[in-house]
Amino acid sequence: MNVLEAVHLQKIYRDRQKTVAAVQEVSLTLAAKEVLAFLGPNGAGKTTTIKMIAGLILPDRGSVRIVGRDPHRDPKALRSVGAVLEGNRNVYWRLTPEENLEYFGVLRGLTRKVARQRAQTLLERFDLTDKRHSQVQKLSRGMQQKLAIAVSLIHDPQLLLLDEPTLGLDVEATASVKQLVREIAAEGRAILLTTHQLDIAEELSDRVAIISQGKIVIEEPTSELIRQFSGTAYRIELELPLDDDRTQKIGALGAVVEGDRILVEDITLLYPILDILKPLPLVRLEKDRTNLTEIFLKLVGSNALGSSTLGTNP
Amino acid sequence: MIFELFLAELRRSFIQSTRYSAEIIGGIVGTTIIFYGLFLSTRYVAGGGFQFGDRFDSIIIGYVLWTLMIFIQGSISGNLQDEARTGTLEQVFLSPYGASQVFLSRAIASLLINLVINISILLIIVALTGSNISFPLILVLPLLTVLLGAYGLSFIMGSLALILKQVQQALSIFQFGLLFLFTAPIESWTGGMKILGYCMPMAPGAGLLRDVMARGEALDGGRWAIALLNGTLYFSLGMLLFRWSERETKRRGKLGGY
Repeated sequence: MNVLEAVHLQKIYRDRQKTVAAVQEVSLTLAAKEVLAFLGPNGAGKTTTIKMIAGLILPDRGSVRIVGRDPHRDPKALRSVGAVLEGNRNVYWRLTPEENLEYFGVLRGLTRKVARQRAQTLLERFDLTDKRHSQVQKLSRGMQQKLAIAVSLIHDPQLLLLDEPTLGLDVEATASVKQLVREIAAEGRAILLTTHQLDIAEELSDRVAIISQGKIVIEEPTSELIRQFSGTAYRIELELPLDDDRTQKIGALGAVVEGDRILVEDITLLYPILDILKPLPLVRLEKDRTNLTEIFLKLVGSNALGSSTLGTNP
Repeated sequence: MIFELFLAELRRSFIQSTRYSAEIIGGIVGTTIIFYGLFLSTRYVAGGGFQFGDRFDSIIIGYVLWTLMIFIQGSISGNLQDEARTGTLEQVFLSPYGASQVFLSRAIASLLINLVINISILLIIVALTGSNISFPLILVLPLLTVLLGAYGLSFIMGSLALILKQVQQALSIFQFGLLFLFTAPIESWTGGMKILGYCMPMAPGAGLLRDVMARGEALDGGRWAIALLNGTLYFSLGMLLFRWSERETKRRGKLGGY
């Protein structure tokens, strides 16, 4: 059985005379151990979809099943889902990490005893043991976010919803959250992840779904998507800019030379070009491989750049 | 399991209160000063020879009860707004217990803590005025019916907070209404007015409290049954309305935003 089955979700908001179709016909499935990167520009419908899955927004149409249960009708479904929601603190700042974990454990249906045991395990695992008695408001942003993820795992849910888990984190904290996401998925949980940091999505996800204006424009395994959008060309990077003589020869063969870089579109030209280059030192020779950022821009359009913080992780 | 939730809420409220201890101590001192000021000015107006006696005891208990009811009435809506502001509300709605059970547990837990604060105020007032207050245990029965009504109203205010988001003005109007409900002498009304009185939230229970406390009468079983029915009805109405508002807010997609 799939951990998550969301089928034909639809949400239309009506505000006075205006009608906004926030989400249309969105279907998502997730199996155990799978990480699905759910990407899209701001206002595309990511958060609305996540909240419909968590039972926090009622869909106009469609259905959600978490391990076979509907979170909108059967509150027991919520035992199988944990969430870190964007723009929320998610935990109580006046309580300590330990108190937060114990409280949320009981709130999610554990007994106090079990909540305490789980809290200790999670504090150790998330490297928060030293800070377990400090009030959350005094912790760094990275620690607060790690705690929010720990709290979302307190009741051992099969499905984890992470809405922008690395937003506003520094390099070290981002790396640590990335590592945690990998480990959590490896334990057998299904993770639905939204992020604007597409390099993180590319690194962590097994599958990618891109949503634009409320509709899913593509959903593919990450590696397959990158293969599909990658060309057959090769890129050669040299240590120094190419001399005029070689530039002319290579240009005559039909490759494009730009300073210290050469783009070889026709694969049969690769070895003749390498012969010309010999014995110049090379920095890199690689098959032209696109990345998620380029795919995202192709599918969603460059106007998404204005509303989405794309690019590499700091 | 629901008891575990209640204890967790009690612990959470207690810890948070201790971290706001300056506010709590300030509240106790402030309320006591206001009440003591009221006492002194009333005695000044009435003249030194006037003896309050038992009447004063019931004023004190009535006052403490009234502040409790104000507290209960605003407790669920206040909690909803606080949680929305601090960004934890949606996590609370992810509980498999369901929002109404969580917020009821919270309201009762914070009532217990508030009760401790109120009893402290009561003890300070007693010490200051030299009054000799007795609290007959039989009062618990009419108090229960008033509490049910108060929690019903609290859920109704909570529903308004969910749907309308801003309820401060409605709450202030409600507090005046509460004073009326608490002081309307429905036990002396007759005919249609009496029936209307029985239908008003908390009013029958408050009338019984007055009878037992101020008039020294025995508890009337029949009227208590009416008061209990009244409390249960308002409590159920509040719960139903809250569940409806929860669904409606989720339909509008406005749960987290304030």
